[in-house]
Amino acid sequence: MSEKPTIEQYIKNIDEHNFKAYKCVGCGAVTAPPSGTCYSCGGNEMDWTTVSGKGKLVSFTVIHIAPEEFQEEAPYFVAIIELEEGTRITTRLMGFDPMAPENVKLGTSLVLDYEDGKSGRTYLSFKPA
Amino acid sequence: MPLKNTSIVSGAQTKFGYLDGISQREMFAEAVDKATVEVGIPKKDIQAAFVGTFIPEMLIHQGHSAPLLLDFAGLRGLPATRHEAACASGATALRAAVMAIESGFYDTVLVAGSEKMTSVSTNRATEALAAAADDMFESSMGLTFPGVFAIAAVAHMEKYGTSPEDLALAAVKAHKNASTNPLAQFQKEITLEKAMTPRYIAWPLRLFDCSPISDGAAAIVLTSKEKAKQYTDTPVDVVGTGQASASMNLCDREDFTSFEASVSASKTAYKMAGLGPKDMDFAVVHDCFTIAEIIASEDIGFFKPGEGAKALRDGVTALDGDKPINPMGGLKAVGHPVGATGVKQAVVVYRELIGEAGANQVAKHDTGFMHNFGGTGASCVVNIFRRSDA
Repeated sequence: MSEKPTIEQYIKNIDEHNFKAYKCVGCGAVTAPPSGTCYSCGGNEMDWTTVSGKGKLVSFTVIHIAPEEFQEEAPYFVAIIELEEGTRITTRLMGFDPMAPENVKLGTSLVLDYEDGKSGRTYLSFKPA
Repeated sequence: MPLKNTSIVSGAQTKFGYLDGISQREMFAEAVDKATVEVGIPKKDIQAAFVGTFIPEMLIHQGHSAPLLLDFAGLRGLPATRHEAACASGATALRAAVMAIESGFYDTVLVAGSEKMTSVSTNRATEALAAAADDMFESSMGLTFPGVFAIAAVAHMEKYGTSPEDLALAAVKAHKNASTNPLAQFQKEITLEKAMTPRYIAWPLRLFDCSPISDGAAAIVLTSKEKAKQYTDTPVDVVGTGQASASMNLCDREDFTSFEASVSASKTAYKMAGLGPKDMDFAVVHDCFTIAEIIASEDIGFFKPGEGAKALRDGVTALDGDKPINPMGGLKAVGHPVGATGVKQAVVVYRELIGEAGANQVAKHDTGFMHNFGGTGASCVVNIFRRSDA
């Protein structure tokens, strides 16, 4: 894992169900989605890192009126997840009913998985741990 | 240090809404004429133009808007530059104009914003608006603008107990204020029950929590204090301005119950003006969604974090309350032609300050505040205006 990380490869890794985050070479802070500069120390040298896949639900919504590309998937969850490693990512949610979002509790422990959407895109998606 | 040299001497907007058969350049010219020749300001006095428009490339297949719009409005030849910061485009144009006057570079300039949004399908307009979020990491998940503010609403509800009914009350207030504003897209009051119709756009946000897609334009003329009296007996001074940015991605933020660019831009503007929230008689805030008004009322320091909904429930922010917010109806009910909005907000504050807001006049009107927000909150511009004779 020594090649310089790129966004193109970050997205390809997700498409291949092999998620990797960025890790600052200088201070070790884990970042995803990619940033050109470390939010912790300002360093700009990054490497890849694997993550545990464990996270917690920070907030979410259920999209009912979707852009054309995603219309067939609606209603669907979009959530903000805080990974065990500290960084936050925007993902889908699985294993919850989008028509009963009031049952979804913030702070719920979740694990990383993937969802191949009807849009043709592969999403990071979290499900109950 | 308060700004010393910039006054607003006129401000006008077109009607906002579905302006069938009227192109962007036509509505732009209408707003410019209303703000210049129709109030006795000769176009030849204008030395430069600062133009706000968000995304005509996708909406009407037109780039390089500033010279095009200026030419149509009879101002060909002037330095004309477009300013783009998504929904804060208008206020970034205004801020650049303030700096140009303040520096002494120009005496008299035009600021004008416009957007033509209804000539494409709602889907296409939604797609164009989505370009104001990070396409690679958030829009690509199917996250929409209502979705962004829904995520903020869920966090605010969890932390402070804000309820869906509180959101609906913001919509009811907006429609009530807009019902007497002849330039508003919706000039009809709605009941709380109607506002709470469970037609979800992005849960927990319902249809009536969202501002509409609109056409419209607005314009103001800024001049140096020295020249201001040539144009009007009631100039309004720009006493403070602030701008800040934040991460585009929601996921790169620590807190969803507040927008850090709003807090930061407000602090800068207050400090520059030497004033605080208690000195503001009223505010115009960027209520693209109902929750955005509640959060903004806290971020600009009118209320403590978590107390915005209570202030709304208690009528504090009503037209006749102690701290009126969006006295003419806000984006929610007046409409939100994106590039026009920031300029229109300045027009509203100006009209209120000079006492020409008609049925929507606030009681105390010496000092007013405007808050214009871009995209996911990645840009925010705040301005504080004060009547020269106040």
